Amino acid sequence: MSEAILRIENLNKTYTIGKRKVTALSGLNLQVKKGEFIAIMGPSGSGKTTLLNLVGCLDKPTTGKAILDNVDITTLPEKKLCEIRRNKVGFIFQTFNLLPYLSAIENVELPMENTKKSKSERRKRARELMEMVGLSGREEHRPHRLSAGEQQRVAIARALANDPAIVLADEPTGNLDTNNKFEIIRLLGKLNISQRTTIIMVTHDAQMATHTERILLLRDGKILKEKQGIHLVKKKLMCPYCGSKIQSSDLRCPSCRKRL
Amino acid sequence: MGVLTRAIKNISRRKMRALLVIIALGFSMAILISVPAGIVANQTATQALTENFNKTLSDMQAEINKTMTLIEISNSSSSMPGNPFGNSSGFMPGPMFGGSQSYMNASIIYDARSIEGVMIAIPYLEKSEGVNETMTRFGRSFTVLRTKYTIVGVSLNSSLIDNYSILPANITDGRNLQEGDSGVVLLSENNTEYFGVIVGDKVTILGKSFTVVGVHGSTGFSESTMLYMNITDAQTITGLTGSITKLDVYAENSSDVDDIATQIEALYPELSITTYKDRLSQLDSMQSMYESTLTTAQSTLSQTEATAVQEILIAVVATSLIVLFVMLYTVRERTKEIGTLKAIGFSNWNVMSQFMLEGTLLSLIAGVVGIAIGSIGAPMLTSVLLPSISTSLFGGSSRGFGPDSQPTSSGIAGAASTQVTLSPQLMLLALGAAVLLGALGSLYPAWRASRTKPAESMKYE
Repeated sequence: MSEAILRIENLNKTYTIGKRKVTALSGLNLQVKKGEFIAIMGPSGSGKTTLLNLVGCLDKPTTGKAILDNVDITTLPEKKLCEIRRNKVGFIFQTFNLLPYLSAIENVELPMENTKKSKSERRKRARELMEMVGLSGREEHRPHRLSAGEQQRVAIARALANDPAIVLADEPTGNLDTNNKFEIIRLLGKLNISQRTTIIMVTHDAQMATHTERILLLRDGKILKEKQGIHLVKKKLMCPYCGSKIQSSDLRCPSCRKRL
Repeated sequence: MGVLTRAIKNISRRKMRALLVIIALGFSMAILISVPAGIVANQTATQALTENFNKTLSDMQAEINKTMTLIEISNSSSSMPGNPFGNSSGFMPGPMFGGSQSYMNASIIYDARSIEGVMIAIPYLEKSEGVNETMTRFGRSFTVLRTKYTIVGVSLNSSLIDNYSILPANITDGRNLQEGDSGVVLLSENNTEYFGVIVGDKVTILGKSFTVVGVHGSTGFSESTMLYMNITDAQTITGLTGSITKLDVYAENSSDVDDIATQIEALYPELSITTYKDRLSQLDSMQSMYESTLTTAQSTLSQTEATAVQEILIAVVATSLIVLFVMLYTVRERTKEIGTLKAIGFSNWNVMSQFMLEGTLLSLIAGVVGIAIGSIGAPMLTSVLLPSISTSLFGGSSRGFGPDSQPTSSGIAGAASTQVTLSPQLMLLALGAAVLLGALGSLYPAWRASRTKPAESMKYE
């Protein structure tokens, strides 16, 4: 396929909690290709969030290399890391983390604030993104006037604002009901196909994980197992369950009626 | 969607809290500006007091220098202490209120003129007309003559009129009195109001009709009620024919003054005789009284200034601490938001400036509120916060027992009444201080915010 957008080599991370040393990641290796949609699963304390934070430049590894879009992010000073976070990484959180005192569109514009884009360009881009996540007409709503699913859509739009090389989603469906979960995972899948957005999603939810194309099982700071998800099949517009032809807009398979 | 808009939105998000904080800060700021305003007012008052005293003293000195050869003679019981100049002095209350009036036999004129070395003796007859009123002060009753007008009879001789200031100089309407005038009167502006007449009208004074020939504009406390006429007319209408109230004796030479005074005293031991020596000693005692007053004022002022410095310091510390605590609380409360902002690419500086701006803005709004509170409540605030000069000097007892309850030294007490006003410069300074203290107070909280580790802060709910 295409070149690796993220290459992680022998990544280690040790925390010191009090006098105790806790190993979160030990010698982790991973390659993510451009346009991949990956799920990371694993029990609590297996290092999922640590991995995500390291890739997202929110934390620094103890040892090892992480090359994101041809830049080794493990050696950069804080100032550069901040630029990487702004321009190359998009974050989606379990609790949406929208700023409650800003309208939906202002939240989407936020990451563009410290870029070279002009005010009107930012507004235009934010409108595009709001449309892309299916929230046209809700631009001026404050987060508390949106449903949980809608809030997560705004958060997704915000994550995509600066055309990031990679989107990191930490349990994006963790706070949502079943219907909203499917809507969000479908939206992520759709964006992955239409925008060629690379997505790494940490999740506890096996059902959600299957809707990606590659599922990594983490245990004790290492990748224990790798599985294929159904997303790759969906990319080819085939039902992953019965193999019949589907439309990208189908919510359920026309023949086997399974949720897509 | 700039950092400023966000700061404003954040402040207005929690309206009740913002309101309370702004009120608290506003009071602190109000103190911060009212106290200097009070100090300025007190300084101005002290300065005015000093200038007033100096002017009074130098006027007196000038008057004494001009009247080196003057010997004033009056009946002792009608002479008021501290008033050496009778009606010729333009800056002190006249002799006519408060005491009973006593008369001298006019024959003294001829006795005085016959003394060797005397150049001239000028008689006056002064009589105040009014009503007796009883007033109560400090639990005691006083009978006060509430003067309506004072008749001044002068010797209308052209050489006296020309060479001695026996008549008021400031004529605002009509003409001054002149030699040979009889049956005419020169009123003060105050008199024209009291009688309801103008120049050319007839006015009845003590039963006799006079023609108003002129109006004088003297504004001195007692001069403003004085009407002038021929001394003979005055003696007739007051029924005091052959009497005078005051005699001004001028010596030909100032070296003769003591000698002449001794001779008059020998002839009329019951009369009060005032020469330049007495006037000088009165000036001295007045000067020392003024000086002690000024010393009190100065020490009160320096005390006030010391208090003010302490209060300003407290207000400064209070303002910064309020901002500090509020912003620390805000930062703690918004840890997750800070983490989110950093995760989506906000730099340490972006975060820091966001919170600095919020703290500064809060303080600036409070500054405006403080100015508003200050401009309404500055006099009240300063009276609570500062020992006031005017009350320490003239508090309560500054009012004299004179007619119309005018202060005995109206000019001085008036100048010392502190007018606390906020000058535009002070307001600008206050806004500057608000910005500075806001920035100072939010420095540490903002720095804390900027150091927040996003990975950890995201764990907070």
